[in-house]
Amino acid sequence: MQPLTPKILLFRTAVAALLLIAIMLACALVGSQDVSLRAVFRGPRDGATPSLDYEILMRVRIPRVLLAAMVGAALASSGVIFQALLRNPLADPYILGISSGAGLGAIIAVISGLSWTLWGRSPIAIFAFVGALGTVWLVWGIGRITGRHQVAGLLLAGVVVNAFFSAMIMFLVSIARGQQLYATIFWLMGNMTEEDLFVLWVGGGGILAGIVALFFLGPQLNIISVGHQDARSIGVSVERVELTAFAISAFITAVAVSLSGLIGFVGLIVPHAVRLLFGPDHRQLLPLSSLAGAMFLVVADTIARIVVAPAQLPVGVVTAMIGGPFFLFLLVRYSRRVYWPT
Amino acid sequence: MTAVLQVNRVSFRYGPQKPVLSGIDFAIERGTFLAVAGPNGAGKSTLIRIMAGILKPQSGNILLEGRDLNSYGIRGIAQRIALVRQEFVPAFGFSVMETVLMARTPYYDQWGFESHQDRDLVLKALELTDTARLASRALGSLSSGERQRVFIARALAQNTPILLLDEPTSFLDLKYQVGIYDLLKSIQADMAATIIAATHDINLASQYCDEALLLYPLAEGPEAPADGSRLPDRPQFRVGRTSEIFAPEEIQRAFGIRVFSGRVGTERFVLPLGTRAKDAHLPGLPT
Amino acid sequence: MAKWWLLTAAAALWMACGYALVRSPAAERRAGPSPSIPTRIVSLAPNLTEILFALGLEPSIAGVTQDSDYPPAARDKPKVGTFWQPSIEAVIATRPDLVVTEAFEQQRDLARRLQRIGYRSLAINVETIAGLFDAIATIGAATGEEERAHALCADMRAEIDQLKAKTAAGPRLKVLWVVQREPLRVAGRNTFINEMIELAGGENAIGPTLHIYPAIGAEQVITARPDVIIEPAMLPGTVDQQRRQALAYWGRFENVPAVTAGRICIIDGDVVSRLSPRLPEGIRTVARCLRPDLFGE
Repeated sequence: MQPLTPKILLFRTAVAALLLIAIMLACALVGSQDVSLRAVFRGPRDGATPSLDYEILMRVRIPRVLLAAMVGAALASSGVIFQALLRNPLADPYILGISSGAGLGAIIAVISGLSWTLWGRSPIAIFAFVGALGTVWLVWGIGRITGRHQVAGLLLAGVVVNAFFSAMIMFLVSIARGQQLYATIFWLMGNMTEEDLFVLWVGGGGILAGIVALFFLGPQLNIISVGHQDARSIGVSVERVELTAFAISAFITAVAVSLSGLIGFVGLIVPHAVRLLFGPDHRQLLPLSSLAGAMFLVVADTIARIVVAPAQLPVGVVTAMIGGPFFLFLLVRYSRRVYWPT
Repeated sequence: MTAVLQVNRVSFRYGPQKPVLSGIDFAIERGTFLAVAGPNGAGKSTLIRIMAGILKPQSGNILLEGRDLNSYGIRGIAQRIALVRQEFVPAFGFSVMETVLMARTPYYDQWGFESHQDRDLVLKALELTDTARLASRALGSLSSGERQRVFIARALAQNTPILLLDEPTSFLDLKYQVGIYDLLKSIQADMAATIIAATHDINLASQYCDEALLLYPLAEGPEAPADGSRLPDRPQFRVGRTSEIFAPEEIQRAFGIRVFSGRVGTERFVLPLGTRAKDAHLPGLPT
Repeated sequence: MAKWWLLTAAAALWMACGYALVRSPAAERRAGPSPSIPTRIVSLAPNLTEILFALGLEPSIAGVTQDSDYPPAARDKPKVGTFWQPSIEAVIATRPDLVVTEAFEQQRDLARRLQRIGYRSLAINVETIAGLFDAIATIGAATGEEERAHALCADMRAEIDQLKAKTAAGPRLKVLWVVQREPLRVAGRNTFINEMIELAGGENAIGPTLHIYPAIGAEQVITARPDVIIEPAMLPGTVDQQRRQALAYWGRFENVPAVTAGRICIIDGDVVSRLSPRLPEGIRTVARCLRPDLFGE
């Protein structure tokens, strides 16, 4: 495989970005109600009454597609980072406890029955965000005490925290009322809702900034993903890079999870698939994975919306069901390029 | 003073009951090829890692080009010392070219890409190690010998005056072992590099290295003195020309075995003989 | 290093612009108070649908969820998803001027979202019998049918008081209300089912519990000593089958008064599973289980 040059990278990123935009537009036009583009272009009002097509497209579909793209990009990028830092192609953003922390936060919010809102967002999102970040901080702290940042220490801390928080979640689920219970499970399975523009703006800005920052760390991540000692002897300050990358990806994952619940598979499968197709260079893996993750989730969400219309499936179900076989296909076709350490 | 690296009374222990090095003190001159030998647990790898700045000794210090090693910072050290460890297959499938290019990471531009000089250095390193034809192969698809050469190429691409190697040929077959040492020798000659290699192979070291440092294992366990010092009668190491250091009596003492020694040309060879070896009862062997 | 500063500055600028442009009051559309009577109402809960029908608002109902099955006419109304998963697109497509939802988290969220898009929505809490009466009054007020709502509430109250009076004399039987058999879960004291039991002249055999629908073990069944065991049928039309299974299951609890007296009552789940204008009928069904002598079969 040819080593990466700026030209190749720009070209591939541009193509992927265009593809993403095309997919987003196409998916925005698909749904349980028919939307005609011509009606949309006629404007927000069809004579005296507001245009149904315009309203559905602009106020429901497009915000939802934007959200799916954002969350998909965040989860995929974060997956890339976790796989690099843990030097394990099977890591995903939830491996260090983010999922159970966020889930615990969400359940506490549901059960406590709070009803205030912040910028129109329910307390579930805030609590989930705090839960996610708090758990990461906790796991990082435990990892420091036990293993001085060594991977095994972190993983173990993650497993322990996950187990404990999952038990607490199960307890809270057992005392929840029927409706709270369903709300929690629904949230845990991942779902896309239509957010208002401000939330999309802020969330999207934060996620985009995080992904760009992670891109800056690309070359260091390359060498860190080969080995700690190798990185250090080459002149990379491993601890600083790891801490920064870890913090940024934890942040964008927490944002994604607080916006849309726990959507699995994206953070695991997308980086892996992109790596199979384009190689492990993180300068390329990051931008392409985030764009691919966005595309994947937009398509998955569209399927979730139309397959059992007028009801909808949780997105997490769809990502698992299409992610699994698709990945199997890629693995069979392209695995010759990958060498697993024995 | 041409000593490029100076080890001043370095002592190191991994834990209160695990002293490894005690009072190691020697200097290396520019352009020397030094072998660090000794039995398992004597501290060869530890010493290499201390010299690379990865471990910090509890007492004593290292002077690099006259300045304390700690004062350089990670990047400073990386500009002067390159470390090669035993080859392994990394978790992700980078190609040979990509791997060697990684050595230039601290020199990348704003957007994380290498410059022409970087590429030239890398190509030169690949040629020197005869791995240019493997450039687009994944590391996992190479043989161990080829992979070890790639790791050496990566160290060369760092373009440093000093090369540290931690048992670079332990698992390689004869052809590759000799190949690596030939390569190291040519690097020493062509690039005036200072090379320090921890090794198990006394005989190869005799043939290729200028100087040798022989480490003896320290006493371990509850009898060990608390500050890690050796029992006062002998220092833990000997350093000098290979012909002196690898004298058969020293080898026997350090490793605790009987050896048969002979002369090849200018250098000697030593052959360890256990009690059940076929030629164990040759006359003329010291008991 | 420069690129990091640049990135931070760009991000800060982005957030500031967002706050200025998007949060400005002009950008937010709020549904203004509409004093007019709504003519296209969407109901996202089956019991709310029943209330709307009971208030005579059938012609104004523009959409219901798939599980709104009573009265039968509700089944012919356009569907906007299910109670747990309503489709916001389908709701909008019916062009409602009022959307009524339940008040638990998910549906309240949906109500808020609809309001932000510009649709008038009402989230109503119906978890207790008192809440039901409030809900009827609220819906009546929102749809201009205050009088009918008032009348409906009065009728319901009268019927309930009648039932209460009839069962006031006589012993309070202990009732075990079984929501699920395996694992065994019962309705606790903190439910509207409990209220129905008490209005029907009974008493919950289970004491106060932390869980609202606690899972209990055989030991607790025996110590509770219920006089009557009531099981709402899981699915419509399976009452006989469930009766057979129930008798087989409870047969091993020989010490339990309800079993020895053969008082295991399988009832139609529909009327007792939701708080709706059919509440009096539900209470009557429960009362029939407790006092067959008074209410006949």
